[in-house]
Amino acid sequence: MKSIVQVKNLTKEYKQLRAIDDLSFEVQKGEILGLLGPNGSGKSTTINCILSLLNFSQGSIQIFGSEMGPNAYQLKEKIGVVFQDVAVFEELTVIENIDYFCGLYVRDKKLRKQYIEDALQLVGLEEFQSFYPKQLSGGLLRRLNIACGVAHKPQLIILDEPTVAVDPQSRNNILDGIKTLRNQGATIIYTTHYMEEVEILCNRVIILDKGKIIASGTTDELKALAKLEEKVTVEVSDLEEKYIEEISQFKNAQDVTYHEGILCISYKKGKNNLVELMDYLKKEKILYHKIFSERPTLNDVFLELTGKDLRD
Amino acid sequence: MTVFKTFLKVLRSCKGTVILYSVILILFAVLNMKSGDNSFNFIAEKPDIFIINHDQREGITENFIHYFEENANIVNLKNDESAIKDALFYRDVNYIITIPSNFREDFLKHKNPIIEVQSTGDYMASLSQMMLDRYLRFANVYNDTFSSEEEVIEHLTDTLMKTVDVQVASKLDTDHLTQVTNYYNFANYSILAGCVFVICMILFSFQREVIRKRTMISSMNYKKYNRKLLFSNGLFAIFLWAFYVLVSIVLFGTSIFTSHFIFYLLNSFLFTLCALSIAFLIGNLIHNREAMNGIVNVIALGSSFLCGAFVPVEYLPSFVLRIAHFLPSYWYINTNERLKTMESFQLETLKPILMNMVVLIFFILLFVIITNIISSKLRRKSA
Repeated sequence: MKSIVQVKNLTKEYKQLRAIDDLSFEVQKGEILGLLGPNGSGKSTTINCILSLLNFSQGSIQIFGSEMGPNAYQLKEKIGVVFQDVAVFEELTVIENIDYFCGLYVRDKKLRKQYIEDALQLVGLEEFQSFYPKQLSGGLLRRLNIACGVAHKPQLIILDEPTVAVDPQSRNNILDGIKTLRNQGATIIYTTHYMEEVEILCNRVIILDKGKIIASGTTDELKALAKLEEKVTVEVSDLEEKYIEEISQFKNAQDVTYHEGILCISYKKGKNNLVELMDYLKKEKILYHKIFSERPTLNDVFLELTGKDLRD
Repeated sequence: MTVFKTFLKVLRSCKGTVILYSVILILFAVLNMKSGDNSFNFIAEKPDIFIINHDQREGITENFIHYFEENANIVNLKNDESAIKDALFYRDVNYIITIPSNFREDFLKHKNPIIEVQSTGDYMASLSQMMLDRYLRFANVYNDTFSSEEEVIEHLTDTLMKTVDVQVASKLDTDHLTQVTNYYNFANYSILAGCVFVICMILFSFQREVIRKRTMISSMNYKKYNRKLLFSNGLFAIFLWAFYVLVSIVLFGTSIFTSHFIFYLLNSFLFTLCALSIAFLIGNLIHNREAMNGIVNVIALGSSFLCGAFVPVEYLPSFVLRIAHFLPSYWYINTNERLKTMESFQLETLKPILMNMVVLIFFILLFVIITNIISSKLRRKSA
């Protein structure tokens, strides 16, 4: 498989702080790479270094086989970026905004017109093309932000948390748009806090913490790292301490917590864990409202690897 | 063209403000033109004088009092020492003349009667003193020359009651030049406010961190992009200047096309470039859209008031003028004021004007250098 992005031994230091520490990874053609990590983990710094918006202390970055730099305009032509903050002109309408940002890449008017129409269709903003950003809802604004970043049909797209504070309808629309871009052959680097998005979209995930890669692989590979098989949650009121002690003694139970009427049991492995628990609750005549079992998420993986939540 | 077209679209959102500044300027110019005569008029000043006459009002005494009645405002006061002192203290009267009881007789007998005076000591009192000295000097000369009282009075009246017409020998149309100068002085505010507000708003839109980042990662050469933006802003400033020049031609007609006009043009053009450099400096320093109106008012209104765009510099206190020397508006307005009274355009007379223009160029360079230092520091900080 052809490497689109090659990051080797990347290090970025801010005086005393090492924001990125000897980071190396590759992004293959046509894949969606998820970049995960809590705030301050180095995700945005890595992206800014890849885009030559920041100088770095050590290492090298190659995109499409060439060295990336501030003046690598031929490379930049093939890259599209969607930042977390909405970057549009308030004084321009939806179509004028897309035209401006597309115009920074595409000089041909006729071709640009076609690209703008495609971008509007991709994010579903056809009906809002003469609206000003102020007149758009948060979700529509995010869609416009994406359209501005990808209208010139780039081969490499970097999306930095594009669905933050977006309504479900817009989120689905955005995720569908990203899938369409991938199907059209684009390579995508995607950062987000939403684990379900990573699980839906990404072929491969890199988890960052303190500027270092702490894990990487497919979502299944990462979940395997968590050494968790199953997580069972029960809504039960007034559970006595002795019952919690007894549940902790279950063969496969790894961790048992009880907080504000919610009992959480993490299992290392094993089958019929849910059945075993339900039998026990029935035997002890403990009344419960809801019970459900789930597979571990990437958040659990992160918790397992770093001891802290992804959103910390 | 992408940058320029977008520049025009962003400019569209500032059109209301530009129209407002232009309307203010035109209104000011029209009011100034209708406010009437601005030429030099001379009106004789009349001091307030109180005369205490202890003599009979006849002959030379009558003529003496009549002379003051014609040339001063005669004030009636109570002939009481405290009332007189109060009147002098409160400037109700500038000069008090006491005519002795035998004035007529003593004068005709060449006894030099003594006239007592009291005064406030101000310039009106000096004027009264000059009037008194003038009368007595001529009266003594005629008294020595002529034998009869009637002849003395006749010649005194002839000499002292004559009036002189004063005409200023100048080829300048002072009315017209004053109006043009006032227009261009006020344009100081419109040019400065227009340039600073619009260019700062445009820079705010184009230089917003996220927009700047998106532009920097695009395939457009960032230096070229900045040059295009600079060119567009420069073009706007020149358009604004040309528009205000056109308005002046429409308001004052073809009579404006004199040698003076070339210098008004050159001076206002340099000032426009200066306003452009100030706008770039502020645009690089301030990144708050809401604060922009306040900042524009402080800069444009503040410097216009301090430097005499609204109030003539003659009325400004000296400490204000000392501060004004540090502002480009002062040198711009000073040139306009000098042009108003300039009769000939020779190197010697043009020297102060050319020096003022050099100072304006110095300000432009200074602002450009400061802007470059600040923007390169900001760039280094963000990298």
